[in-house]
Amino acid sequence: MKLVVAVVKPHKLDDVKSALENLGVQGLTMTEVQGFGRQRGHSEVYRGAEYKIDFVPKVKLEVLVDDADAIKVTEEIQASARTDKIGDGKVWVLPVEHLVRIRTGEWGAEAL
Amino acid sequence: MSSGKKFVAMSLLTFIVIIVLGAMWGHHAPADPTGPTFNSLSNYPSTTTNVPVTQVGINALASDVGHLGVSINFTWTLVTGFLVLFMQVGFAFLVTGLTRAKNAGHMMMMNIAAFAVALLAYYAVGFAFQFGGVAPIANLGGVSPLTGLLGHGSAGIIGTHGFFLQSGGTYDVGVMVLFLFEVVFMETAGYIIIGAIAERISFAGFLLAEVAMGAIIYPIYGMWMWGGGWLAKLGISAHMGHGAVDFAGSGVVHATGGWAALALAMVLGPRIGKFNKDGSANAIPGHNIPFVVIGTMVLLFGWMGFNPGSTLGATDLRIGLVAVNTLLAACVGFTMAMIITNAKYGKPDISMSCNGMLAGLVAITAPCAFVAPWAAVIIGGVAGTLVVYSVAFFDRVHVDDPCGAISVHGVNGAWGVLAVGLFADGTYGAGWNGVAGNVKGLFYGDVGQLWAQIAHVFVGFIWAWGVTWIIFSIAKRFMKIRVSEEAELEGLDMPEFGVLAYPDFQLHHAAAGHVGTDAEPIGASAGRTVDLETS
Repeated sequence: MKLVVAVVKPHKLDDVKSALENLGVQGLTMTEVQGFGRQRGHSEVYRGAEYKIDFVPKVKLEVLVDDADAIKVTEEIQASARTDKIGDGKVWVLPVEHLVRIRTGEWGAEAL
Repeated sequence: MSSGKKFVAMSLLTFIVIIVLGAMWGHHAPADPTGPTFNSLSNYPSTTTNVPVTQVGINALASDVGHLGVSINFTWTLVTGFLVLFMQVGFAFLVTGLTRAKNAGHMMMMNIAAFAVALLAYYAVGFAFQFGGVAPIANLGGVSPLTGLLGHGSAGIIGTHGFFLQSGGTYDVGVMVLFLFEVVFMETAGYIIIGAIAERISFAGFLLAEVAMGAIIYPIYGMWMWGGGWLAKLGISAHMGHGAVDFAGSGVVHATGGWAALALAMVLGPRIGKFNKDGSANAIPGHNIPFVVIGTMVLLFGWMGFNPGSTLGATDLRIGLVAVNTLLAACVGFTMAMIITNAKYGKPDISMSCNGMLAGLVAITAPCAFVAPWAAVIIGGVAGTLVVYSVAFFDRVHVDDPCGAISVHGVNGAWGVLAVGLFADGTYGAGWNGVAGNVKGLFYGDVGQLWAQIAHVFVGFIWAWGVTWIIFSIAKRFMKIRVSEEAELEGLDMPEFGVLAYPDFQLHHAAAGHVGTDAEPIGASAGRTVDLETS
């Protein structure tokens, strides 16, 4: 099993979600996060004094998938979250050691 | 269906049945749906029905007409006073919006406590100091008992009737109307200071400031201008035009509040993190811009009482011009601040544009009754420009004023007072302050009026700034006027009042605009590594 993690632009969340649904992904978790990458933050002026917004709002997605699906899901997220502009985000894949469905107690791939 | 739902349904049904029955019940011929019978003589007080055509009859008629005039003036003065009272709401929204969420409870508590505490101080002594010797006010009729004047000849220093609204026989309906209208003006000067002392003053220190404002700082200066005092009498004593003229209080109310705010901000020092070691200023954005806009609109609405109400009577038909001048200056002030921030900083600044509207309102407050609409436009435009540069100036000299109170009320209050001496066009103010003729400014040939206005600006600054500075420089030795560093960083709600304004609200210590204790812009010390790259 793999955990696919993606940090994307908030307004691309719906696109990514529907793309993954079409792929047959059963569930995903999203969190509102703030961060910066190579583009850094940006400066604004408030009442004549400049201030930096260092952390830009993003959405973080986590999807648990079978080993076989990991690459496909990663590619799908990359394609659907893309705007070609700076700050589009990243996707990465982590191995998952154990997985349990809390309600039934199923283990491993059955719990997906 | 549950019994609860049944009960609600039955109640609703009963209510509807009562409405329907009431609507069908008793169809009588309508009494007077359009109102012509209200024009008959029988509606006038009993003395005027069937008056004989004699001197006695004419006198009776005249006295009733006089009574009606005073009634209209009472109504006008009270209702506009209620509008001014509502400005308190606008200011609470404005200053709370312009500060951080962690201090919102403290800000709101200061706003309402200012009202209650300063009102009591004004009731106890402030009103007597200010209006104890004002003499009868023609528009409000009656024989005013406010005749206790302490001073030299006609140049009063302080009033002496009306302590606790009873000394000198001041249990009088006219005095009550005057008190209501004037106490809400004092409250305006009282809440202005909140804007400049926000996010760091201790509540105890704040209450001291409000008592001082309600009992001494505002009333005594107000007496010199409006209570028959020496500044107003400069026309008689020193032949400076009509003496210092301030129609609704650009100087008396706003500059007094603004300069007191300046003194307090200087004694308190800036908020932690406002200024960097290299001297540059950090922005500390407010937490609720919608509050700022709502507050500004409420203040604009309240100002429709502040200025037109200052005639103390609707029988003075100048109120129409006063209201229009006020609106014009407000809108020009907003537009100018919007244009200038856009040109200077790249985008129109919402809170600064709102400050521009208030600056226009403050500036037109003194001249509103004496100038033509074209002059109101110029006065408002200068105000909207001044406020932008003034905020930048106070940032440069390291006076931390979170809401721009000093720039809006102090600087533009002074500008408004001077504007009377420039633009007053000689169409209003016959016999003002006991000097014959209408009030004229420099552009209409009376340079003496401008000198009187300059005196008003300087004396006002020295009094309000000086007295506040002295009181707090002394108080600083005996009490804690500023909260601890720990409380300031955590937010004042919990340390001062034991409750949070927004209990469910997670405070982001790294959120935009928050500045750490080392007064370095956030992120600068955060150390950027490859691991942190998330996008």
